[in-house]
Amino acid sequence: MQIRRARKEDLPAVADLIVRTKRLNNEFDPLFAVVADAKTRAEKYIGSTIGVPDKLLLVAAEGSKIVGVLRAEMRERLFYEPHHEGFITDFYVLPEYRRKALGNEVLQQASAELRKMGAEIIVADVPSRNEIANNFYSKRGFRALTSSFGKSP
Amino acid sequence: MPKEDFSRKALAYSKFYGGKVGVSPKVPVRSLDDFSIWYTPGVAAVSRAIAEDAELSFEYTGRWNTVAVVTDGTRVLGLGNIGPEGALPVMEGKSLIYNYLGGVNAIPLPVRAKSEEGLIDLVRALEPSLGGVNLEDIESPKCFDVLDRLRAEMKIPVWHDDQQGTAGVTLAALFNALELTGRKLKGSRIVLFGAGAANVAAERLLVKAGVNPKDIVVLDSKGILHPERDDIDQLMLKNRWKYEIAIHTNGDRITGGLKDALKGADALVCAAGQGPELVKPDEIRVMNKRSIAFFMANPVPEMLPPAALAAGAEIVATGRSDYPNQVNNSLMFPAIFRGALDVRAKTITDPMVIDAAHELAAFAREKGISKDYILPTMVQWEVYPRVAAKVAQAAIREGVARRKMTAAESLRVATETIEHSRKVMNALRRNGIILDPPE
Repeated sequence: MQIRRARKEDLPAVADLIVRTKRLNNEFDPLFAVVADAKTRAEKYIGSTIGVPDKLLLVAAEGSKIVGVLRAEMRERLFYEPHHEGFITDFYVLPEYRRKALGNEVLQQASAELRKMGAEIIVADVPSRNEIANNFYSKRGFRALTSSFGKSP
Repeated sequence: MPKEDFSRKALAYSKFYGGKVGVSPKVPVRSLDDFSIWYTPGVAAVSRAIAEDAELSFEYTGRWNTVAVVTDGTRVLGLGNIGPEGALPVMEGKSLIYNYLGGVNAIPLPVRAKSEEGLIDLVRALEPSLGGVNLEDIESPKCFDVLDRLRAEMKIPVWHDDQQGTAGVTLAALFNALELTGRKLKGSRIVLFGAGAANVAAERLLVKAGVNPKDIVVLDSKGILHPERDDIDQLMLKNRWKYEIAIHTNGDRITGGLKDALKGADALVCAAGQGPELVKPDEIRVMNKRSIAFFMANPVPEMLPPAALAAGAEIVATGRSDYPNQVNNSLMFPAIFRGALDVRAKTITDPMVIDAAHELAAFAREKGISKDYILPTMVQWEVYPRVAAKVAQAAIREGVARRKMTAAESLRVATETIEHSRKVMNALRRNGIILDPPE
């Protein structure tokens, strides 16, 4: 298993995993209904990440097969210290590769890379109701920082 | 007899007899004095002894041989969620079979449970009166959780016949079908169509019996289960049993539908839903030569045997009695509990079921298997004590038996207990206590 920066040719596979994370969010919360053309959007979204200096796209690859992805970007916390945050926007590992510490390794490596990019704090954004994601980060010493509240108008 | 006849008679006879089973005495009442032994004041001594050592309830009362046939009525036969009252005739029928073929004192007990938790609480509360529990006709996936939790929490065997029973008999049938077609369990490619109670349990038993999970392909209503199916995360949350199957089976990562799964497959086990055209001839045709196909749906198999044979299947079985090779739970559950109760087993493990399946298959082989006879039939009653004895011995080996006995003793005890039930029935009929039904 190799954890490395994503390349252009990984795009379709990575986009597929990104759509899976969104669908998983929808399993927990109807306000995260996934749009029909999510795959196309995901390719565009990911495409604009590869090779951008303040953005990070890591993949876990078994041979030529992409089995996990982590996308993050550097953000500024305008009013707060620590000031520079490495912000994880998306993280997904295929089910059969879970429970084998792969997620942990990807997170570790991403944290290290983000630190090199100047991050003083690592923040991950997950839907409140996504228990899997909440458990994952809680178990690894992360705690809730902000909450966003939503309702249909 | 045509099906309409069975239905008409079932209604008429059920009314005539006012139900199929009832409690009857085991002890003589010679004079009113005997009541002072069976009831107060004498009975207090027995109660005191049991109060000091609860295990004595297996010696001094009928607990050792008593099984409750429990359902919440949420998935009765092919009828669906018809409620506990609607399930009562079925549980009565099951109790009758337990009694007649297994010598088990079975009590029909449909319950009104509002939730999964409620059902678990109810069953758990019954433990002091019982030697075992037979769960029946509970919807999937609730049944998996209920069984797993009750097995973990109760110190008597809890059995869900729609999972373990169906899977166990299927395994026995498969042993002989593979034998007849010159195959070994290991290395055979097996497709399970349907991922409900029966096939989820069948998958587990097949693996424990020696099939490589990579050689098994399971399909649900959405197609082939594999680790990257679009809804895999949903399965992880909503049906972890199916999820586990998706993750560890299907080594070749076959995707698609039944036809894709059957290409190069040796055996097909359907527990998928009402036929008769759920499985089609062109799907059977892509299987390996000398293929095996079981269609377990009742009352209408997923495909009718003549059609499957015409499409090239060599050995075909169904759940029905009007075709050869009936794969019927009734071949197993009476013997499973006979054996488990005889050694006061605390649970029924998968190896006990696998041993039962081997014995069922061995019995048929001794009689001479052929493509129309891969399993014993229910009238070959000698098979029950034999299977029971194997179950008892497996329980001892597995370390779940409270009581030890030799293989010969197991066979003797099981034979005597089952014969006792048959003798009671014969005596009651001979003496005009159980009458033949009016025509």
